[in-house]
Amino acid sequence: MSPARGLRGWCMRLAGMFNQQKRDRDLAAEMDAHLQLHVEDNLRAGMTPEEARTRALQQLGGVEYAKEEYRMQRGIPWIETTMKDLRYAARMLLRSPGFTAVAVLSLALGIGANTAIFSLVNLLLLRPLPVAKPEQLVLLSNSGDAHSFPTFSYPNYKDFRDKNDVFSGLVAYRFSPLSLSHDGVNEKLWGFTVSGNYFEVLGVNATLGRVIQPEDDRMAGAHPVTVLSDSCWRRRFGADPGVIGKNVIVNGKGYTVIGVAPRGFYGTEVIVAPEMWFPMAMQEQIEVGDRWLDKRDKELIFLIGRLKPGVGVAQAQTALNAIAAQLEHEFPEINEGKRVTLTTPGFAGRGFREAMLGFAVVLMVVVAFVLLLACLNLANLLLARAIERRKEISVRLAMGASRGRLVRQLMAESLLLSVAGGVLGCLPAFWLIRMAATFKPPVDFPLLFDLHLDYRVLLFNLLMSLLTGMLFGLLPALQATRMDAISAMKDEVTFAGARRSWLKNGLVAFQLALSLVLLVGGGLMVRALQNAQNVPLGFNPQNALEVSFDLKLQGYDEKRGFQFQKLLLERVRALPRVQHAGLVDLAPVDLHFPRSAVFIEGQTVERTAKAPQAMTNRGGPGYFQAMGTRLVKGRDFTESDADNAPKVVIINEAFARRFWPGQDPIGKRFSRSAPDSPKMEVIGVVQDGKYAGLGDDAPPYFCRPILQDYSGATTVIVRTESDPQAMLAQLRKEVLALEPTMPISSARPLIARMAVPLLPARVAAALLGSFGILALVLVAIGIYGIMSHAVSKRTHEIGVRMALGARASQVLSLTVGQGMKLVLIGVAIGLPAALLLARLIRRMLYGVSAADWPTYAGVSAMLLGVALLACFIPARRATRIDPMAALRNE
Amino acid sequence: MSDKADVWQGTLALMVLKTLETMGPLHGYGIGRRVEQTSGGALSINYGTLYPALLKLEQEGYIASEWGISENNRKAKYYKLTRAGRRQLAQEAHEWERATSIVARFLAQVKG
Repeated sequence: MSPARGLRGWCMRLAGMFNQQKRDRDLAAEMDAHLQLHVEDNLRAGMTPEEARTRALQQLGGVEYAKEEYRMQRGIPWIETTMKDLRYAARMLLRSPGFTAVAVLSLALGIGANTAIFSLVNLLLLRPLPVAKPEQLVLLSNSGDAHSFPTFSYPNYKDFRDKNDVFSGLVAYRFSPLSLSHDGVNEKLWGFTVSGNYFEVLGVNATLGRVIQPEDDRMAGAHPVTVLSDSCWRRRFGADPGVIGKNVIVNGKGYTVIGVAPRGFYGTEVIVAPEMWFPMAMQEQIEVGDRWLDKRDKELIFLIGRLKPGVGVAQAQTALNAIAAQLEHEFPEINEGKRVTLTTPGFAGRGFREAMLGFAVVLMVVVAFVLLLACLNLANLLLARAIERRKEISVRLAMGASRGRLVRQLMAESLLLSVAGGVLGCLPAFWLIRMAATFKPPVDFPLLFDLHLDYRVLLFNLLMSLLTGMLFGLLPALQATRMDAISAMKDEVTFAGARRSWLKNGLVAFQLALSLVLLVGGGLMVRALQNAQNVPLGFNPQNALEVSFDLKLQGYDEKRGFQFQKLLLERVRALPRVQHAGLVDLAPVDLHFPRSAVFIEGQTVERTAKAPQAMTNRGGPGYFQAMGTRLVKGRDFTESDADNAPKVVIINEAFARRFWPGQDPIGKRFSRSAPDSPKMEVIGVVQDGKYAGLGDDAPPYFCRPILQDYSGATTVIVRTESDPQAMLAQLRKEVLALEPTMPISSARPLIARMAVPLLPARVAAALLGSFGILALVLVAIGIYGIMSHAVSKRTHEIGVRMALGARASQVLSLTVGQGMKLVLIGVAIGLPAALLLARLIRRMLYGVSAADWPTYAGVSAMLLGVALLACFIPARRATRIDPMAALRNE
Repeated sequence: MSDKADVWQGTLALMVLKTLETMGPLHGYGIGRRVEQTSGGALSINYGTLYPALLKLEQEGYIASEWGISENNRKAKYYKLTRAGRRQLAQEAHEWERATSIVARFLAQVKG
């Protein structure tokens, strides 16, 4: 038989699955006709009508059997039986809607959450940069501490670029805040200054006009050109094709638009999306007045290299370190001890990526736990149902049904449940992703959160649901069909039957352990958050507000800037209900707080590179008062600590402790950044505080007077006696009154600053807490379900016991005791596991130890209480059983 | 048990095709009757087993079916051989003959 015939046969069989009723009728008619013909023949041969009919029927053979064989030939049997199984399973499931709803819902939540998290992780960590051959790119990192950004200086960059032979190209970039003047309105946005070979090395071409080329970057300040991002072009310039050649004013200077970058190209950082690109040669114009291109000690740019084909990371790293050693030799003051490591680009440095990775891993583990919990619940419930149908199953087994067939039938239910759960799970996945996409982290720069549901992830989702169905349906199905047939038929169940359901009990205990772990994690985080509110910040965030803007971007020089600041302060202080007001360039707490090397008078340091560092900012008179920071010694800045007056500085207690232990710091002197820069004299000491993160322990800090050390970036801190929210509008008005087109980068109550460092803790608490509660609900339902089941099984036995004189309380304690034993095992497993998890997230637990026993005790108590209730209710039902009815109940 | 059924099914299919070639279009009962007669009574088949076999042949396109009227004015489903069926019959018959002649040669050899 040729394959074509075979195929035809198959297609006919496929078609044969439809119109079944009609075909059945046809067959019946045909066989009827056959019978008639045969009977007539027999009659003609001389038999009596009964004989004729009997003989004909005999010869025909088993009619039903023939029909069955016919049907099997007609369609595709295994598909048909599967459809039948599924339909039957659906009917059974609809008959117990409670069970079905719980199972499907919990699966949907578990699968949905997993999908959402996986999409997020995919976006943040796995998506490659939008460039040509991204796998060849590496980010250079100077091995320093993980907290600082891995930046290099421009002269060092040039040396690396020119002396290496492992890269086909090395690019540099930096992100800068910009003020774009467009149609008379100033808007703040972010851009990149990039080396001339940036686009070339990345392999990115313009969709309109051209991109920045090495010629544009030859001479400082020579080529004021810019490339727009696609979204910038669409949003701000209305996708006008005539934008090429247009002149735009950025930070007070004119630039010519030479091109538009491709859609979807957002540069070389995964989460920051610049809107404009400039040649690095324009650096001084963009960062008005701040020139660092030729300064080897100003490390401000990121470097990304494209490996030559065939060159490995290790090889490149060694080569680069050889160059670093050379640089160290040539410029020991600056480059001592600096080495290069290579990492994956896109995360502004290793430390950030590791934090993200750590966070993502924890998230995925938590969500996986919840899914596991839901699946375990499903498995348990399915097992309970299978056991319920034991009698029916064993009868069928005894009658010769194959075990495989029965298992298939049982699995049809679990498959339906899990597919329903998977499909339904798309909903929570959508919501979660929508929620995450609209979430705006409280940071200044434009984070790119292009979160959308990946269709691959959706597929993965459905696949996972199928897998869970098969996996978690298989085990109970196998267990149920393995039963000892005879005893099952006798419906013998005693409490010793618990031995047989070790699997079930094990599952419940495991579930309990899991939810304990999640809840403890959540509980610890909540306590940590509470503590975080009380962490001594070194200032009082209540009743204060801040307004920030950047004079430099507005084109103000130092003289005008000082005037503006002075005038503004006067006006603000004159406002009603303002207690104190002061100026600062950057207030704590901030992700990236400035640090400086300090050179204490009388304390020599071997090398500049080894000098100690301290946190620093620039503040004006009244700043500390406005912040609510206590002055411990000496005096605050005054208006006379201005330009020509002797250079002064205020330090914190940690600084004094560190550099002049046991001495009076007032009057001592030190300089910053370089040993020979002008010395500053300490005139005051303020209390310790937090600057770059809540986890800091008392870093040394000093504050320079803003009147001696001008800063265009200005923040006005205002302390009011009442609700700060109310004052915001007034403050903005004051700023705009003096400069109507000033872009105000932030105006908010001071307490909003706390959102940033607390963010990971908040998110972790929310996640762990909500998942923990979900887990608890699932476990409670699971326990309740199992106990109900157990009770209804033992109705007969309970009846016997009660008839023999057992009191209700005894029955109660027996059943509840059985259940609670399980719970205790679960708690016993869960506690050490919870401890392990707590050690993992130790860093986020401010002021809470990982072994904070009140939390553990509280959560355990809660779990025990819930479990007790879940056991108690069905057990109570057991005691209400009428012994006679129970005895009669077979 | 199942492979015996396959062999049986295979030979039954061959007999059905041959019957239809010899007798022309025939209904199910007629085919069964004819097969019985031709085998000289050695085969007494369950007529019921015919129908799945007929269906299979029809699915593979070797025979075609049509409702018609029988001799005694009864409605019956008639089967007839298709061109492909004719070809298949010739091929299978040829293969049977080859198979039996080879085996016969062997048996003759052993005896001798």
